[in-house]
Amino acid sequence: MAAAALRDQLTALLSSMFSQGLVDEQFQQLQMLQDEGGTPGFVSEVVTLFWEQPVVNFDKVDAYVHQLKGSSASVGAQKVKFTCMQFRQFCQDKSRDGCLMALAVVRNDFYDLRNKFQTMLQLEQQIQAYDPKQQ
Amino acid sequence: MARKMIRVLLVEDEEINRVVARAALKAAGGGDVVDEAENGEVAVQRVRDAAAPYDLVLMDKQMPVMDGHEATRRIRGMGVTTPIVAVSSDGLPADVDAFITAGADDFTSKPLSKEKLGVILAKFRLA
Repeated sequence: MAAAALRDQLTALLSSMFSQGLVDEQFQQLQMLQDEGGTPGFVSEVVTLFWEQPVVNFDKVDAYVHQLKGSSASVGAQKVKFTCMQFRQFCQDKSRDGCLMALAVVRNDFYDLRNKFQTMLQLEQQIQAYDPKQQ
Repeated sequence: MARKMIRVLLVEDEEINRVVARAALKAAGGGDVVDEAENGEVAVQRVRDAAAPYDLVLMDKQMPVMDGHEATRRIRGMGVTTPIVAVSSDGLPADVDAFITAGADDFTSKPLSKEKLGVILAKFRLA
């Protein structure tokens, strides 16, 4: 696929991530820091750190959700962050049903965003392969 | 006149938050030297052992081993006057008050950005 078509695909992906509320202005902040700082791999480093977090151990629920909320805020993962806020409220209310529901939602949101981030990075790598100076 | 070199201690247990904070500090013009501590106890040691005083401490709240409130209290207990800015996603008035009572000079909410750090650097005349 030509670089221009890949760029269009990447633009469309990013646009849909914003319009679906998956990411917020903090993600734009990361892109800006990458562009202004002249550090081509910065966004890749941050989103990779985000999805490599352990997401299975929910035993220490409240502390862990707090941690996930903080890292979601840093990467601009708006939906995950909002779900974590609801999740913590259920923890504090000691609502078992609420926690189970929030767990299902946060997992879904997390994996959905992770997949989109992975697609985004793959597209960027393919575009980069066409023109190594482009970033 | 040459700009003063800014030394910052970044206290944060989450690597992703440290990576973003470092980049935002650099973009805001305040990241000449950024030392890091992954919890409050390490932060207290870094401040105690620093060859030269830090110009700014960015302090997370919830961390393992020692939280940001306790670390702030201990740093102030050592007589250190470096500006300490609390950084937390819990921005309720009670959270802010707890940090200020512990000895922090200011509070900013997560996530950190170039703009927020620019305001902090200007406030403490570090920009």
